[in-house]
Formats: sequence, structure tokens, C-alpha cells
Amino acid sequence: MKNEIKFLLNGEQVIIEVAGNEVLLEMLRERIGVKSPKCGCDKGDCGTCTVMINGKTVRSCLVLAAEVDGAEVTTLEGVMDGGDLSPLQKSFLEHNSFQCGFCAPGVILSTTELLNKNPHPSKEQIKEAIAGNLCRCTGYTPIIDAVTDLVK
Amino acid sequence: MDKFKYIGKSVTRIDGKVKISGAAQFIEDMDFGKNLLFAEVVESPYAHALINNIDISEALKVPGVVKVITGKEFPYKFGLYMHDRHVFALKRVRFVGEQVAAVIARDIATAKKAAKLVKVDYTELTPVLSVEQALDKDCVLIHPELEDYFHVPWFFPKKKSNVAHLRKIRKGDVEKAFAESDFVFEDTYTVPRYAHCAIEVHGTIGLYDNSNRLTVWTASQSPHTQRNLFAEAFAPLGITHKDVRVISPFVGGGFGGKAGVSMEIIGAACAIACKGRPVKVNWSRAQEFYNTYQRQGITGKLKLGIMKDGTITAMDNVLYWDAGAYVEYGANVVNASGLSATGPYRVPHVSIDSVCIYTNLPPGGPYRGFGYSEFLFGLESHLNEVAKKLGIDPVELRKKNAISEGDILTYGCKMHPNGLKEAIEKVEKEIEWGKKEVSKDPNIAIGKGFALFWKAPAMPPNAGSSAFLKFNEDASINILVSGMEIGQGYLTVMAQIAAEVLSIPPEKIRVETPDTDRNPYEWQTVASHITWGCGNAVERAAKDARNQIFELVERALDKPKDSLYLEDECVKSTIESNFKLPLRSFIINGIQKEDGSYRGGPILGRGMFMPEYTSALSDPETSQGGKQNVHYTVGASAIKIEIDKRTGKIRIPKVVLAVDCGKALNPDLVRGQVTGGLLQGIATVLYEDMRFDEKGRMLNPSFSDYKIPTSMDVPDEIVPIIIEVPQHDGPSGARGMGEHTMIPAAPIIANAIDDALGIRIKSMPVTAEKVALAWAKKNAE
Amino acid sequence: MAIVNNFDYVKPKSLKSVFRLFKQYKNPIILAGGTDLLDMLKSGAVVPDVVIDIKGLNVLKRITYKDGVLFIGACVTYTELIESKIIKKRCPIILEMAKQVASMGVRNRGTMAGNICSAVPCADSSPVLLAYNADIVVKSSSGERSIPAEDWFVGSRKTALKKGEVVRGISIKLEEQPQGASFLKLGRYEGEDLAQVNLVVIALKDKTYRVVYGSVAPVPLRARKIESFLKGHDFYKAVLKEAVALVESEIKPISDVRASKEYRLHMAKVMLEIGLEAAINRLSGKKPVYGTKLL
Repeated sequence: MKNEIKFLLNGEQVIIEVAGNEVLLEMLRERIGVKSPKCGCDKGDCGTCTVMINGKTVRSCLVLAAEVDGAEVTTLEGVMDGGDLSPLQKSFLEHNSFQCGFCAPGVILSTTELLNKNPHPSKEQIKEAIAGNLCRCTGYTPIIDAVTDLVK
Repeated sequence: MDKFKYIGKSVTRIDGKVKISGAAQFIEDMDFGKNLLFAEVVESPYAHALINNIDISEALKVPGVVKVITGKEFPYKFGLYMHDRHVFALKRVRFVGEQVAAVIARDIATAKKAAKLVKVDYTELTPVLSVEQALDKDCVLIHPELEDYFHVPWFFPKKKSNVAHLRKIRKGDVEKAFAESDFVFEDTYTVPRYAHCAIEVHGTIGLYDNSNRLTVWTASQSPHTQRNLFAEAFAPLGITHKDVRVISPFVGGGFGGKAGVSMEIIGAACAIACKGRPVKVNWSRAQEFYNTYQRQGITGKLKLGIMKDGTITAMDNVLYWDAGAYVEYGANVVNASGLSATGPYRVPHVSIDSVCIYTNLPPGGPYRGFGYSEFLFGLESHLNEVAKKLGIDPVELRKKNAISEGDILTYGCKMHPNGLKEAIEKVEKEIEWGKKEVSKDPNIAIGKGFALFWKAPAMPPNAGSSAFLKFNEDASINILVSGMEIGQGYLTVMAQIAAEVLSIPPEKIRVETPDTDRNPYEWQTVASHITWGCGNAVERAAKDARNQIFELVERALDKPKDSLYLEDECVKSTIESNFKLPLRSFIINGIQKEDGSYRGGPILGRGMFMPEYTSALSDPETSQGGKQNVHYTVGASAIKIEIDKRTGKIRIPKVVLAVDCGKALNPDLVRGQVTGGLLQGIATVLYEDMRFDEKGRMLNPSFSDYKIPTSMDVPDEIVPIIIEVPQHDGPSGARGMGEHTMIPAAPIIANAIDDALGIRIKSMPVTAEKVALAWAKKNAE
Repeated sequence: MAIVNNFDYVKPKSLKSVFRLFKQYKNPIILAGGTDLLDMLKSGAVVPDVVIDIKGLNVLKRITYKDGVLFIGACVTYTELIESKIIKKRCPIILEMAKQVASMGVRNRGTMAGNICSAVPCADSSPVLLAYNADIVVKSSSGERSIPAEDWFVGSRKTALKKGEVVRGISIKLEEQPQGASFLKLGRYEGEDLAQVNLVVIALKDKTYRVVYGSVAPVPLRARKIESFLKGHDFYKAVLKEAVALVESEIKPISDVRASKEYRLHMAKVMLEIGLEAAINRLSGKKPVYGTKLL
């Protein structure tokens, strides 16, 4: 049995038929072609698959595609400033916050959720918000510094 | 006045925007159309077994399965420094998870289903899971045909044994020196295996098209070396280098794990088997743990001779390396680190045995530090113990024996100018060495630890780099190189080097990811050598282009070449102040003469660098007589920790690392390596804990149970210190430092724990559990 | 990435529909947050023919407090628990526990009900619910029943939930008397981890105590010897020392890839010290503030 689902993806309506066992991450990447969420572990441990559902970050490798029927899904492409870099992204660029860039989409979405809830987070709160996004390259400090600098 | 415009500046990464906008394409992001096939690997459940039979008949019956391949179709050996690996295990399997077959199907679910139906009949053999076991004279041989394997001439396998290579260094007379020393201290230190845990897993897509062209897309640190290994391995099929093309997009972290060839050859083989259709092999995270390179384990037996005034006289270091089932790359870890296992110290009499031992565990290979992190744990821990016994301050002991310019290295060559002394002094000051701190909380103990470190690029003596540099009509540049951007900022630094020579801002310079058809040769992106090696090539290419520009302007416009210079993307003259010729006006289309004809044409620069003064040939019994290393990068590091005595948990208020990188071409990127490398090193001491069961199976191949640091685990303060004693043959004096920042992490923590609690832990990792139980035991005594 | 086995996905609008689906399919499974279930689907540990998504049932999303009873619907996420004013006021230890579960992206989906249905020994919710004598309210086509927490946990990954039943929510009758509580979780570092030892301590004004360990046995364990020793005592160091000495007779943890039994035992004692002190302090309205990471 297939389900026809309707949802908003970065503001655009998508109508698509999905199998019951289709995973959200797969659907986004393979069928719709949105490549920014990545598959780093397939178990929800690394955070590279992070997307937002109705403004809240989730691990899209742990969500069935059918679950987003009627929801608003946001990926990195959807938090840019009309296609340009957002102030958050500009701060990341200035602070050299990313090296290989593989964890960047997930980190940016987690930070976006934080700043939407709390425009002036403490350093501890920033760390907690990205605690589920693993980064092997940077040691996290330049990421934390970029957000701290942006919100001060 | 700063003589540089771009060099030494923290220029924004030129690949920054593409990465944070999500536009950066990694291997998993590439689309290959509806014709793409998927391969699932059938793995060995045993650490050591003979393969009697592989029955693929049931698997072939599954609808959607296109092919099933085994070692029978690809009975070829391959390897970087040694040919001891097969594409698929041929007659025997040597580690749990080793690839035995691949099922290729139209979708991944079908491939997975069918893979379960491949029946392999094994005869189990005794798994060899430790170096002690492997060295026992009655131990089963993991590679009975070892003596027939091709290997580079500077490796010395011991036939009819599990010793794949023995690097012996003998300098002076250690026995005599020990006899004449005031003290001789010996001890044993063990460091287990570690996993790279790059956040992006390995992946490969191969296409062997109907014109007999093999293209392999890989997440790789070494596209040209991969091409070479594929061409070597598949030569019996009539495939040569010109038929092989390797393309690498952005790589999501390498740390050495994506160098050489590990699982990529499976993709190439699957492609050859399914001619005309692209085939994808993507590793799961679990496979990333147990079937890619791991960092070898080591047991180091260290004996140090020393005078009562703290002068080191002799060192005997026997390093037993658990190098895994295949050592085609890992044997060089054993080799290179063996040559430097004295650490950055003046040691007149040296005996080092670096022994590369086969075991039935995953293949060891290159990992940031290339063996140096492994032996330095023991060495720097031992120096502290020795200092304690002699009643000398551990930093004073290091200062006294730190290697200086002109001192003789283990293999007989002289040490070059370096900033080790400056590094020690600056770190000492920054950590406030000597100032003992006590916590107000009675449960917390504060300690400080110090260590020196060094490393030389570990490469064959003929590792070359090359670069093409081409202009576009708007005077922007494309630099074509085959080094890999694995996050370190390499593309940006290459752009800065060219920018400085040609006066074109880095924002107008594109450095692209490699395609072996179009980008000229680079050996590999490893060894912390491409800033130096490829940087030299790019600098030469830029100078070549500049030279062509000046020659053209002289020829076409009669301006003396010596009077010309580049500024603000224009050619200017020192003798004619109003001469200003924009590059864009002629860089593609030439300079027009009065008669309407043109001189010149598209300017294209070319550069190449290969050191011509290194040689791996030396006396096999002593390692004297060669010039094995191009240079060393040295440094010092210190840490302050707070230990909760009840829980054993360690907090890091401050860590300092000073590294002599010759010239920091981009200081921010250098600091980025310090922060990232230190945390990766700290993780190996405090959190990462690889476990195997008694059958050789890895028990924790996931992030749930192999813990790498999160943002919650960062030290409070990290202080990077840049030291600049120029590298005579580096671009603007630069030498590499990417690996080095990880190397001292383990011993500084071990030394700090000893300082805080008086407990010396001689094996890694030093988890909270180990510390808590050791303290509880000590307290109870 | 793929889930090999196919199944139907249905998102019913009423519990009645859920029970209808139970009849229609042979091997139905309930999906709430999915943070445990998806992994089990991928590994093949569960092979359902239908996945029933209950997130469409609004009645399961509520947190209510009425007449001394706190009710948490089956679809309430950990993030919602953390942000809930009711939880903060009435049972702040749930907030303290929820904050230490996984990470933000997982907490936005994961539910307590799901956690106790998976019933892994290291589950964070389990010792909290056992300490509070919670009732797990389940519904089936034949009606509703309440399963006390101590009967709910049958074994590792085994609960008292019967086929055809769905968890509607968790009901906690909160005691009126002043109390202080603490939740401690032992991980291998500061980042997210599965607990190697969990502990909940409740100190009540009438000098009774509840001490529940998690992750030291297949099911959460009430340390009754310690509880009965502490009963009637005010808190002072000698009491604490003797209570801690009882830990070894109370729990028999195992060694596994995460921790050895020696460390678990050692930490169980350390955690009891810290947890008891924090609970007593909170009983008199002192710090540490609820939500603090105590370990």
C-alpha cells in the first residue's frame, strides 16, 4: 500500500506517493533531490540527517516519509535568506566554523531552532543545542564562538 | 611593513560558502541516473578461516539481482607499499567483516536481501588476536606466502612468521651506554586501536563503460594513488592507467582513513563486473568502523639510560604493533614512526625495533599522526616518571634534552633549524608551569601535564606534487591540483599562494576538487605535506605564469622584463609610473599591436615539486646511511585538568599547544587544526574505547558505544601558539602541521593525572572508570 | 538506509480505528516518536505488516493535572515535558530526567511512553516512573486498565503490555506532602549517552524515602533495604555512610561494553550520596535547582 502525502518543503508544496517503509531522509535525498541532509550513521547518533518538521529539528533517518503528511519540512536550503547566506551563516563563515562541511547543514538547523526559541542563548545553551551534531574536524569551539558572537 | 598581502592572513575559506549553503557535493550526493546499481558486500563472520566454498546460486535467483562476484572473478592482489591484500578474500579470511563477495542489484533492499542468501562454507582457524600470540613460535601463520609478496625495497618481512616488517635502528652502542649511565629505567606502555570516525563514511561509485573506460568516483584523499593501485591490480584484465579515471568531490573528513585504497576497490571491481552500468558501494557506519583502516595498537617496551643531572644517554625502544590482517599501508606507519621513536630529543645511543605484526583484526593504516601518537604516549609518560625518580622538574628535563639544530637524528642525519625551544618556553609560560593549583572543592584534584612532540611527513622518497594554473577572461584563475580538501583548508591556502605571486585576490581564485584526467599528479593528501609539497608546486606554477606574462609584455610592448611587477591585477612598471596594463585585457586573447595582429594567447602556468634529496635506502640492520625524512615539525603542549576523584571524570579548563609550522600561511586555519586535532587526541585518551570479543569481532561499531566528543565535551580554553622558524624549501617558509596537533594529547593528560592524583596509568584509554577505580584502590590502601 | 521489509503505514484519527487495525493485521506495531522503532525496523528486529502512527490522536498529546493526579499522554515528547509549566510545578524531576535524554533533535520526537514500551534496561524514564508508583494506562477494544509501574517492567525489553493494547498515557498520583527529588544519570562523558547507571531519589517530609536504580538490572530496581534503613532518619553523614554501605547488597550489576560491574557499583554509591544530598536540600527548598545535571 502506498500513501499519497502532501507537505511543504522549504515553503514549496510537494505531492508524492511513498511506500510505508520509506524513510524521510531517503525520500528527501533520493526522490526529491534535496541533498543537504546527510546519512552519517543511519541511527540518529550523529545528527547529519537533521531537518526541521514544523520548526523543530528531528533526525530524519528516524522518521518515516509518510509521517510528514500535512507538515512543514525545512532543510538547510530553507533557512537561507532568500537564497543568500543568513546572518547566522555569515557568522559561521567569518569564524571559520566548518572544515570539511559535512556536519554543517545539521549544525545550522539545530542552531536555527535554538535562536528561534531563544534569541540570546548562553554559551551552555548553545553547546546543548548542537550536542546532538557530531563534528570531527573543528573541535566545536569555532562553531560556538560564531553563535556567541552573533547573539551578543 | 608587512611584505605579504595574502600570505599570513586569515583569508576566508574559499570553499566556505559552498559548504555552509549546502551546495557542496559529497560522494553520496552525486546522482547517476536510473541505471545505477547497488552492491551489498557479504562479509566474513570469522576472524580467521579457510574459505571452502561460496554458493551464490540462491542469491542469483532473487529478482533484481544482476550479478554476484567473489574473489574468483578478481584474484588480484593490491596494496600501497606491499601487495598483501585481495579485492575479495580468496582462499582465506583474515578479519571479521572482510569482504568475501558482493551482490549487485537494481536497488539496495534487493541487494541486502540477496546477500543474506549467499552461502559460504568456512573452516575456522585459530584467530590471532594479540601481538604476543602472533609472535609465539607455534602460532598459525596469517600470511603463509609472505615471502612471495611484492613490497618496497625498504621493508623487511620475516618469512615463515607473522612479522610483516621489522625496522631496526641502531646508533652508537646502547649496551655500553646503559652500563655507563647513572640510571636505567624501563617500562611498558600499551595503546589500543582507534577509529577515525570521519562523519562521512566511505563510498564509491564505479563505471566500466562500453569503451573499456573505468571511472571511479570516491571519497578519497588520494585519487592519483587510487588510480595507480586500480591500474596495478586490474592490469591482468588489460586495464592500464590511461583507462582509469578517479574523481573525488568534497570529502567529509579523512584523517588518513580515506587515503590509500580500502573498500574503494570493491566499487571498481563491481563496475568491471557490470560493464556499462554504474555501481555504487556505500559503507554503513558499522562497516566504517570494522572494514576501513583502523589506527594500529601498540605495546611499547621502553628503556631509558640517564645521568643523574638529567642528560639522556641511551634509549632502547621495542615497539610491537598490532597491525591487523593486511599491512599494505600500515607497515609504513611502523616504519616511519620507528625512525622517529626517540621523540624530539638528543639521544646519542639508540636501539629501536619497530615490529609490524599481523593479527586477525581489521587492517591498520594511516591515521592522523601516523604512529607518532601511539609511541609518544609511552615516551612522554616515561620521561615524566624518570623526572620524578631523579627529582628533576619534567619541563626542565625536556629542555635539557630537547633536540637542537645540528643534533644527529636516529638515522644519522642532522636536525634542521626549528622552534622547539621557543615552543617549550611559550607553552610553559601560558600554562603557568610550576604554579600548583588546588581546588576549593575537596572532591576535585587539579593537575598539569606537559609533552613535546614532533613528526616528519611519512612518504616514499619520490612523492611528487604538480599544479596547473589557468586564467579566465576576467583575470580570475583556476588552479588544478590533485590534493584533497578534507577540511584542513588546503584549497584556500593554495589560492593564497597563487594570489601572493600574481596579485589576484583569493576570492577570484578557484581551486577545484580533483579529476585524474584533468588535474595533474599529486601523490596523496596525507603526511601533513601538501601545504609544503603542493604549495611549492602551486607557487612555481604561479611564478611560471608570471614569467610568461612579463616575457609577453616585454616582447609585445618593449618594456624591460626586470622593471615589471604585478599589482591589483595589473602589470606595472618600476620605471614608468603610468604604465598599467590590466591582466584581463590580454590574459586570454593576447596583446594587440599597431598593425592589428596579436602577441601571446592564453596564459597557462605549470609547476611541479618533488624532493630530490630523500632516500629510503639505508642499512637494513641499522637504518643508517639514508635520508629518510624531508623535515620535522616540532612543538610542545600542556594541559590543566580537573579530576572529580569520586567519578573519575576529567574536565579541561585549559590546554595549550605550540607548533612550529615555519610560516602560518593562514593563521586561522592553523588554529583550526590545533583546536580540532587536540579534541580528537583528547578523545582517544578519555572516551574512545574499541572493544573486541574473544573471536575478534568488534563489539562497539557505532557512535552509541564508541564515543567521540560532542560540543558538551570541549575544553574551556584552547590556546594555539604559532611558532615560525622557516622551512628553507617551503612556500614562504611553510611546513605542515595538520597531524601534529593530535600527537601530544594522550601523554599530556596521562602526565596531568599523575600530577593530580599520583597515579600513573600506562595504558589507554584513560576512562573515567579507570581513574575512579584506581583512585578508590589507592585510597583504600 | 533502507528498511528492507515493506509494511503499510496508517495514521488513524481515533483509538477506535487503532483497534480496528489491530484486528485487520497480523503484526501491527504502534509508532509514536519513532526514535527507537525506526532503528528496530532497519535492523529487522521487528517485522510488522502495519505501522500505526498514533500522533494523529490529539487526546494523547496532553499533559494534565487534576485532583492530585498528573497525566502525561502517550504522545507527549521529551521536549514538551521540558517546556511544560505543569511538569515544572508538579513533578520537576521529570524535567530533570528529560533534559538528559539524548539530544534536542531526538527529544523533539521521543516520548516517555515509547521509552517504557521499549523497556531497555538503561531507559531513563523507567526509574522515575517506578519511584513515583506511576500507573501506565492502557486501552484495548475491551476497555481500559491501569498497570502499576512495578508490574509493567517484566524483563529486558519485556513489558506487561498485551497484544491488542495501546498505551494511552502515564498517570502519577502525586503525594501532597513536601518532597525533594533528584535524578542522576551516569554517562561516559558530557555528551549524550545511554545510562550505565540511573538513580532516582525522593525524600519526603514524613522521613520516608524512595530510591530506585536503573540500568543495574534488567528492570528498574527499588532499593528497598536502603529505603527502609533511611526511613525515619533525618539526613546526616553517618546515615549516609550506612546507606551507601547497603548498595552492594541491593544491586548486582553486570559488566558490558559500556562499564564494568565494579565501576557501576562504585558509581551507584557515589550517586546515592550525591542524589540523597540533593533530594534533602530540595526538600527544604534549597538548591540545586531542578534541571541541573548532578553528575
